[in-house]
Amino acid sequence: MINGLAALVLLCAFVAVSSSRMPALVRTFAIQSLALGMLAASVAYFTGSPQIYVVAGLTIALKAILIPRMLAYIMKRIKVEKEVDPFLNIPSSLLVSGGLAVLAYYITEPLIVHGGELTRNALALSLAVVFIGFFIMISRRKAITQVVGLLIMENGLFMAAISVTYGMPLIVELGIFFDVLVAVIILGVFAFRINNTFDSLDTSFLRRLKD
Amino acid sequence: MRALLGDYLFPLMVILALCGGFSAVMLNSRNKACIGVAFGAAAAFSACGIMVAIEVLVEGPLMLSLPITSVIGQLSFGFNIVVDQLSAFFLLVICTLALPVSIYSVGYVKEYEGHYGLGRFGLLFNLFLLSMVLVVTAGNIIVFLIAWELMSLCSYFLVTFESRDTEKASAGLLYLVMTHIGSALIMLALLLLAFQANSFEFSDLKNIGLFMGVDVRSIAFILLLLGFGTKAGIVPLHVWLPKAHPAAPSNISALMSGVMIKTAIYMLIRTYFDFLGINGPGDAWLGLLFLLIASISALIGVLYALVEKDIKRILAFSSIENVGIILIAFGAAMVFKAYGLNELAALALIATLLHVFFHSLFKGLLFLGAGSILHATGTRNLEKLGGLSHRMKVTSVLFFVGVLSIVAIPPFNGFVSEWLIFQSLLLSFSLNDVLVNLLVATALGMLALTGALAATCFVRFYGMAFLARPRSREAAEAKEVPRSMLLGMAVLAALCLLTGLLSTYIIPTVDQVTAPLVGTSIAGRLAGGLVLQTPVSSFSSMSPILISIVLLVALPSIYLIATRYGGRRSERVGDTWDCGTPLSERNEYTPTGFTQPLKRVFNGFYHSKTSTSIETGSDPYLRKLSFETSIPEVFEDYLYRPIAKIVTGLARKGGVIQTGSIQAYLAYIFVILLILLVIFR
Repeated sequence: MINGLAALVLLCAFVAVSSSRMPALVRTFAIQSLALGMLAASVAYFTGSPQIYVVAGLTIALKAILIPRMLAYIMKRIKVEKEVDPFLNIPSSLLVSGGLAVLAYYITEPLIVHGGELTRNALALSLAVVFIGFFIMISRRKAITQVVGLLIMENGLFMAAISVTYGMPLIVELGIFFDVLVAVIILGVFAFRINNTFDSLDTSFLRRLKD
Repeated sequence: MRALLGDYLFPLMVILALCGGFSAVMLNSRNKACIGVAFGAAAAFSACGIMVAIEVLVEGPLMLSLPITSVIGQLSFGFNIVVDQLSAFFLLVICTLALPVSIYSVGYVKEYEGHYGLGRFGLLFNLFLLSMVLVVTAGNIIVFLIAWELMSLCSYFLVTFESRDTEKASAGLLYLVMTHIGSALIMLALLLLAFQANSFEFSDLKNIGLFMGVDVRSIAFILLLLGFGTKAGIVPLHVWLPKAHPAAPSNISALMSGVMIKTAIYMLIRTYFDFLGINGPGDAWLGLLFLLIASISALIGVLYALVEKDIKRILAFSSIENVGIILIAFGAAMVFKAYGLNELAALALIATLLHVFFHSLFKGLLFLGAGSILHATGTRNLEKLGGLSHRMKVTSVLFFVGVLSIVAIPPFNGFVSEWLIFQSLLLSFSLNDVLVNLLVATALGMLALTGALAATCFVRFYGMAFLARPRSREAAEAKEVPRSMLLGMAVLAALCLLTGLLSTYIIPTVDQVTAPLVGTSIAGRLAGGLVLQTPVSSFSSMSPILISIVLLVALPSIYLIATRYGGRRSERVGDTWDCGTPLSERNEYTPTGFTQPLKRVFNGFYHSKTSTSIETGSDPYLRKLSFETSIPEVFEDYLYRPIAKIVTGLARKGGVIQTGSIQAYLAYIFVILLILLVIFR
């Protein structure tokens, strides 16, 4: 069950890489967060600790509902074009992502051997998600897609935390949620500013800021 | 534990400097209060410093430490201050100059009112003094490096104080770059020592050279020479000096030339004699290297000073020359120590320290004088000055004292230290090494030439600035400077004379400083009462006081004899050699013309470019003739510019990775992350 959900999270990351339209990308992120929330809930069920339920609830509320809404609102406000505008075309992006997933397994291999029964594959999967999130940040032009990449990375980290350690103390989790929310707001503001200044969200315009 | 006054005075000094500086910033808008607080604190600071220094020289070392300890690697260190004899001597040098400069500054900084923030100046001034004091009293490497860096930064901000002047800003930048190259080398060398000794404390570094390999020790020697040489301004690392010193406000130039570059000499003595140690003839090469570099430095310094037109640049080049002279004595001390002639080494080192002290006094005085000229006329161009002795009577007298000191006229102090340096070099005949004898003799010749050229240089300076007729309106309308500035200069002028006259009483104290470094004390034989003589008895001797008495008696009597028995002279007052045409300031002898013969003689060195052009107008008899001469900056054109070109070229190649694209930066991080993860999985 947990492995299945973790795999779903990774699958969503792949879908995010392959999506060529912004709304689809954001939706994929929402689904990924939903899967993550359910994963947290099932971890809570298996370990029987009530605080992880809270975390699961928060994940779904924030990442699956609130943040996608905000992103959608920002996109509507600045009338961003729907194309994702990648540096690298989608088939080769998918290939790279596949490579990254393999790499994640390779890296975590010595750790997995000693891992707990419950979350055998979860560490490798979450590392793969982190890598893919990072890769999205690198290979996409628009500021919004970079925000989504960051959020996917964050999801990966969150998955690693929840599946390896069965949840951090609640106060830490809350702090992280708050961080993510603030980050999205700030990045949203930046996206507005970039859009106003350059008439586009394309971050390659920022090159001109160089000396 | 003895109770020393210094235990309280030293912390008080730190508090004074900090409080003075920061309250000056707070009083920024109230000019009078700001100046009073800032320089009052600085003067009190200097007075305390003098007391601490004298107490240590008399009573023995002072140790202070703040209860802060930190750890780097396995080595722990605290904020330790150790004032031993050598530190105390330099503390005395710094504070003796800082006190009159603080007084002088009260009047001098008034010209900045309304243009630049006085509070900022007050803060930097106090911090600069504090940092210099900490440099010479630091008890371990970390405290030293922090103080050294603070000193460099404060002086940088003071050099660029008139920040709206782009020329000054670029001079400051050059200074910043050079000083940090030097700092990097120093840091490397000191860390080399620290890891040999496994400690940062200076007390543990003593004689560490005995336990080091020959190669490492030689590397440390060279790194220290280059690092501190940059600060001291030895050729060819001097390029920043003639740019930065004139750019700074004149009171700061006095401090920079007078004492800041001396902190490098302090560290050279400390590291060479105290830490690495000069043991055995194997180290003679180092002394000879110093003799060579220093004599070249002295000569080149004075040659540039001779042809310079900017009064503050003349003084800056003269500082390079004097650092050369100081290092000649220092090199001689090393040679003697290496051959086991400890007495001669002591003599040379005493000469080194005395010249450090005396140079700080007269160079400080001259820079303050140049500041007064600048204050009164608004120009630093010697070609535009002239006739100031009529309008600035007191300044001209005080400046003359400085000139007499720097060209080593007895009984002023410059004579005493240069006399000792000459004596120590002359005594090198007792060495039995042809190469050494040859090199010392060369240095001696260079030193003599340097002395003569310096005399020419300052005759030109004084004659052109103070005598004759004003060469421009600025000079003609000059007014005497405010009292506080005169007082500051007067104190220094008095010290120039007194330290010269009373040098026989100062030398035993200096001997006490050098005794632990060279292992022998020679005061008993050196200064017998009024007479100064060399340790090899009956080689030569001199008494500044007797000389002055003789001069005091002889000069008036010669005058009297000449007027009494010289026959009648009829006096006529009129213009000289005007041949019927009224003379104007345009007919005057110019500074450029004054040194033209020397420029011809040394043209192989100067490579000066001259061009004469004649323009014929409509009138066949009236033609416009213009003459131009310029001296290229050899070191910059042939040494620094090519290096700078290579460095910027490399930087541009390296700059390719700085694309400015966020994705590229992210990619760098990502790739590094992946590589690290794969390697350390």
